[in-house]
Amino acid sequence: MTLVETPLMHTLSRALDLTSTRQGLVSQNVANIDTPGYKARDIDFRQELQRALGDDEALQPAPVAREVPGLVERPDGNNVSLDRESLLMAQNQLAFQVDVQLLRAEFNRLQQAINGGNGQ
Amino acid sequence: MNLFGLFQISGSALTAERVRAEVATSNLANSETTRTPEGGPYRRRMVVFNSRPASSFRLLLAGSLYNGSLQEAGGVRVSQVVDDPTPPLRRYEPGHPDADGSGYVDYPAISPVQEMVDLMGAERAYELNASAVQAAKQMIQQSLQILK
Repeated sequence: MTLVETPLMHTLSRALDLTSTRQGLVSQNVANIDTPGYKARDIDFRQELQRALGDDEALQPAPVAREVPGLVERPDGNNVSLDRESLLMAQNQLAFQVDVQLLRAEFNRLQQAINGGNGQ
Repeated sequence: MNLFGLFQISGSALTAERVRAEVATSNLANSETTRTPEGGPYRRRMVVFNSRPASSFRLLLAGSLYNGSLQEAGGVRVSQVVDDPTPPLRRYEPGHPDADGSGYVDYPAISPVQEMVDLMGAERAYELNASAVQAAKQMIQQSLQILK
């Protein structure tokens, strides 16, 4: 953490990273909706975020994508659920938007502090 | 994950689904074709989808470092287009130029219903992937907002 990186910014940037990783997995699941034998994969967002905010930042392993348990498998061995993926896609998009807005607000607050509270 | 990588994933699926739609359309168009360059009636074709592993250096390196835990997003591709082994349908049409000695003509074993269902499936999957592209686009535009 540096002088201009507040804890909130730190958390938000990790959350943004993870959200885009997750969106990548959703895109992959959706792309493979007709691939026989393909299993839907996802990350555990909460767990990964906690790990990303841990102490040894330099040694951060990449997020682990696991197969999603409890999905109904079709006869061709594929278990991608259209509803689940569309919902996740929308949810990810909104989460990304929220994080970006919060980050912007935080930058504005910082700017305000630099200006000594005299407006923007 | 780079946000621009999402385009590649969804783009690969758009390509694959279009090939699938093209093959289904070709099957429909040739449902009565009795002559082909290879000889004999047209044979129904099917696409085989295969999930595509990650190819970028960074991802491969990360994958090898972390015991393959990160098999990152890679998209899909059409690995091959295969012929349906179902034998042709034989119809009794003695006047047909392609009729054999006993008056039977070999027609492709194509069910229009099956092809239409396949075509609709491809169309819906294409739409879904197109909305994934929209989502990625929106997220990139959103992240530009941080700069403002």
